Amino acid sequence: MTTVEKDFGPREHAKLAEMKEKLKKVIRRSVYVYRVDCGGCNGCEIEIFASISPVYDPERLGIKVVASPRHADVLLFTGPMTRPMRLPALRAYRAAPDPKIVVAYGTCGCSGGIFHDCYSVWGGADKIFPVDVYIPGCPPTPAATLYGMGVALDILQQKIKGAHHVEDEVVRVQPAHPNVHPDLRKGIEREARRLCGYLQGKQIADKYLQFLEEGDLQAVDRKVKELLKDEKDPRLVEVYLKLHQIFTDSMERATGNGG
Amino acid sequence: MFKLLKKALQVGEATVEYPFKPLEVSPGFRGKPVYNFEQCIACGACALACPANAITIECNLDEGIKSWNIFYGRCIFCGRCEEVCPTGAITLSPEFELAATTKEDLCCRADFRLVRCRSCGEFFAPAKELEYILANLENIGLPETAVATTRQLLEVCPQCKRRRGTDAAIKSLYWSGNHKQGRK
Repeated sequence: MTTVEKDFGPREHAKLAEMKEKLKKVIRRSVYVYRVDCGGCNGCEIEIFASISPVYDPERLGIKVVASPRHADVLLFTGPMTRPMRLPALRAYRAAPDPKIVVAYGTCGCSGGIFHDCYSVWGGADKIFPVDVYIPGCPPTPAATLYGMGVALDILQQKIKGAHHVEDEVVRVQPAHPNVHPDLRKGIEREARRLCGYLQGKQIADKYLQFLEEGDLQAVDRKVKELLKDEKDPRLVEVYLKLHQIFTDSMERATGNGG
Repeated sequence: MFKLLKKALQVGEATVEYPFKPLEVSPGFRGKPVYNFEQCIACGACALACPANAITIECNLDEGIKSWNIFYGRCIFCGRCEEVCPTGAITLSPEFELAATTKEDLCCRADFRLVRCRSCGEFFAPAKELEYILANLENIGLPETAVATTRQLLEVCPQCKRRRGTDAAIKSLYWSGNHKQGRK
């Protein structure tokens, strides 16, 4: 697969794996980490430096970032492994003494990330080195970095597991808010998203649509007023009132047509 | 010296106790996209929206399986999948502990069954998606008598629908042409 793998035969590989296991047992409280930027956007580097700050303080766990690969036990590869950086990365890998733990850091380090199909991108550290731990995240937060280091050193347990769902029988998915007319629902959701962005807009629209599901105009009026009485954010009040306006308009139109 | 100690005691600890205590993330934190298999209709909107191609869709037309894949090692946690999902099957969670020792643990896969076209017999659309469309139509007020015929209409692939449409159009043209000739 790679230039690195070709250096050893299977016997050396087995020996190296054994040494690595030993290393994990011995080294728990004195880990030297060397980071290699293989063409990243610097986001990962900033997060690494944020995670060695006193707020997260990995030195209480014995983790220290060093300036030379010759001192390193753990190599942290960030960036999508661009063509110009793959040879320096290889040199850093060779310079670190065996046994060593290789960590692919960040989405780019794991798989190339959003650059995975760019030209001159190899697509992650595992295309060149045998990687021990993947830390996804774009970039990983300092806490995720600490957790990843814990997994790399066998201190913490891995939480994520691969999943494979298979459909045995077709279960019908019910549309959300079935009692509200789709046109009205669309109008409310669009307005909420226009005003507050998709995430907050969706939450606000969902909350309002729940009122609509339960009652008629008077009941909704009462509920909105109850909600807004304790609301301190004037912006949210305005958004709710606008959504309510859409509903009352549609009700007026419906009754107007009916009468 | 004592002054400094006193100050330090007053200020307290700045370091979070993260690996020994769970960490509280801020509201709106975009962590691992959690997939709800029951809620998914395999429409593929998330795969289209995903800028990093972390979510991909594969169709196996021989076996009639549409498989939905996510690779968390490529996800950039932008939340576009959550934005476009019509049924709320995928949502970003505050979970950030994603480190894994193998690549397989970063993958999630879901297989959906496709429906055969009533006309040509080819697999063409996920059964769950058609059911969802039907459920929506029923909510708008599709009468129960029309459900069976609508289902029959839905279970025809777009190509066959087009072919039927052209056939009907040609027939009507032919008919109107004959009609005119007869009148002359």
